[in-house]
Amino acid sequence: MDEASSRRLRALLDTILPASDDGRMPSAAELDFSAYLETQAADFQPVLADIMSRFEDGFAEQPLAARVERAREVASADSRAFNKLVFHIYDCYYQNPLVRGLIGTHPAPIFPTGNEIPAGDLTSLAAVQARGKGYRR
Amino acid sequence: MSEAPNNDPVDVLIIGAGASGAAIAWSLTETRMRILCLEQGDWMTPSRYPTTQVDYEAAQFGAFNVNPNVRGLDNDYPVNTADSPIDVLNYNAVGGSTIVYAAHFPRLHPSDFRVRSLDGVADDWPISYDDLDPFFAQNDRVMGVSGLAGDPMYPPKDPPLPPLPLGRVGEVVAGGFDKLGWHWWPSDAAILSQPYDGRDKCLNLNPCSSGCSQGAKASVDITYWPQAIRSGVELKTRCRVREITLDEDGMANGAIYYDAEGRECFQKAEVVIMACNGVGTPRILLNSTSSRFPDGLANRSGLVGRNLMFHPVAYIRGIFEERLDTHRGPQGTCILSKEFYETDTSRGFVRGYDMQVVRGNAGPLVTALQGHHTGQIPWGPGHHEAFRQRFDHSASMVVMAEDLPEAHNRVTLDPELVDSNGIPAPKVSYTLSDNSRRILEHGLARGEEVMRAAGATEVEKTDLLRASGWHLLGTARMGDDPERSVVNSWGRAHDVRNLFVVDGSLFVTAGGVNPTSTIQALALYIGDRMKKNLANLFDD
Ligand SMILES: Cc1cc2nc3c(=O)[nH]c(=O)nc-3n(C[C@H](O)[C@H](O)[C@H](O)COP(=O)(O)OP(=O)(O)OC[C@H]3O[C@@H](n4cnc5c(N)ncnc54)[C@H](O)[C@@H]3O)c2cc1C
Repeated sequence: MDEASSRRLRALLDTILPASDDGRMPSAAELDFSAYLETQAADFQPVLADIMSRFEDGFAEQPLAARVERAREVASADSRAFNKLVFHIYDCYYQNPLVRGLIGTHPAPIFPTGNEIPAGDLTSLAAVQARGKGYRR
Repeated sequence: MSEAPNNDPVDVLIIGAGASGAAIAWSLTETRMRILCLEQGDWMTPSRYPTTQVDYEAAQFGAFNVNPNVRGLDNDYPVNTADSPIDVLNYNAVGGSTIVYAAHFPRLHPSDFRVRSLDGVADDWPISYDDLDPFFAQNDRVMGVSGLAGDPMYPPKDPPLPPLPLGRVGEVVAGGFDKLGWHWWPSDAAILSQPYDGRDKCLNLNPCSSGCSQGAKASVDITYWPQAIRSGVELKTRCRVREITLDEDGMANGAIYYDAEGRECFQKAEVVIMACNGVGTPRILLNSTSSRFPDGLANRSGLVGRNLMFHPVAYIRGIFEERLDTHRGPQGTCILSKEFYETDTSRGFVRGYDMQVVRGNAGPLVTALQGHHTGQIPWGPGHHEAFRQRFDHSASMVVMAEDLPEAHNRVTLDPELVDSNGIPAPKVSYTLSDNSRRILEHGLARGEEVMRAAGATEVEKTDLLRASGWHLLGTARMGDDPERSVVNSWGRAHDVRNLFVVDGSLFVTAGGVNPTSTIQALALYIGDRMKKNLANLFDD
């Protein structure tokens, strides 16, 4: 990818998932989307190239609001392709260990660590039982 | 193409290595008969299940999608569901759909076997809850079932292992049921809460629907099959059966199938047992035509493929201010309510429904994508705040309605669509009945009450979930009357005395609970009856 194309891609990633207002959550452009594409979404690359061709050269220089507007137009012209783009950006973003730490879930893969969950309180079942047999024969 | 191998004849040929095929194979091992199972899929490799990978959630949208039409693997067959508001879901491998099931493991209730006598609708089963009771217990032991004894909605039963943890979702929604004074109980699950029978306990790995890497979930490739194979049953994979063949006396004498290399093969057998599920079994029977059975094998009643029942599902999601760790835990039901299970005609419908509180599947990717499709979590500015409010802050409930049998709901052969071996694909024609629709409406309103009582600040509702054809029932029903049923009270075809059915096709009515515990108990019951009648298995 040439420099101009990768600037446009970064701008698009930053449009779909910008950093959070408080700066806590990173923008999707800060993660290594190219590595994700190569290792996990090679099939998507031609679709991505097609989507990117719909964003003109000056896209990367536009302010966020204008980029959002342009992305909406592209989305309504081809929602199928755009939904695939959103899928892959989210997939890359939400498997990232930094992001997962920030949203309070441990890094993937979840096997073999697993999760702890509370056993829960079963004492109110005594009242459920006190209502008596509830089945018919 | 090389020549097909010559197959030695077998005593018993089982078609399909899923929940029911595995159970009957295991049950029949003590007969010392030569038993062979043909399965169109492969063995699974748990060490490669998605939860061992970083992008574990994405697999649900691809190779582990539960819809065979989306998955489209070579082992799958397509299903035409254009005439149905509900999609057929399954998995085709050794283990069948138990590879992806949630392992929520309720039994049908005693009243489910007597709906005509009790409520004047549909038909009674030719067997009772009590007939199946010992086989429910036997199945619970082999699968390894966790649960809590004492549920007043059932006759006494005692799961072999203590219940799975409720988690925050279960605790909070149970509080809602308590406030309303409604029944709830921890769910029975075929998932280990403690180490059992050489398998380790559940690690709360979240999406059980893409296979259990830990082996805590009882898919039958790791429960029944290893035991059955050790006892001498042979299981051949990548063998897809096209049709059952007949001899000149009208007895089944084997099956024609395609092997992994696409070669057409013949397997001779003394007894044939169908275990391809409520869509796969009628498909193969309907595809087995002859001058004796021009409309499909064992189909003199015209009922093969008819009376298809799903469990239509409505979905309720409550959004809570507190964090509920929604994405953690085994995916299936943590608690359930049978408050509206039994008939009360003042509600405007007959029969009833089960309310199941689910968790474990709304990981970050699924949450973000669902929010994208519903518009509740936008991409762009605003994404992070909307995501923060929903991720791990929701509790979901499934309202699972009892569908009644209706002859026009059916499986037929598609005139055009075929699988990769050229076998006609099943076509499903199904309309949601008024009774089922009224059940779902009632359940949606009650579900919202529970969520609000539990503290939900927002409630989202889906009136009929398209992706809910998990339970495939009724298409080769049991009964004593050959005019009104396909098989007798122990699964033997009325029309072909050495052909048996053991899967969900047998169900006379659907009950309002997940069926696999009952499907497997039925398979064990049929196995038991076959063993007791071995000397005169084919007599009138
Ligand atoms: C996503 C999902 C979640 C579920 N969750 C639950 C749950 O929580 N609780 C519950 O009780 N149930 C659940 N179920 C349903 C449960 O999986 C089924 O009820 C159960 O597996 C049915 O058993 P069976 O033997 O009838 O069919 P299956 O288990 O589907 O097995 C049928 C087998 O036959 C094979 N086959 C089909 N046709 C051919 C052919 N022509 N030649 C050779 N082989 C063939 C298939 O490949 C398959 O392996 C769920 C199902 C799904 C899909």
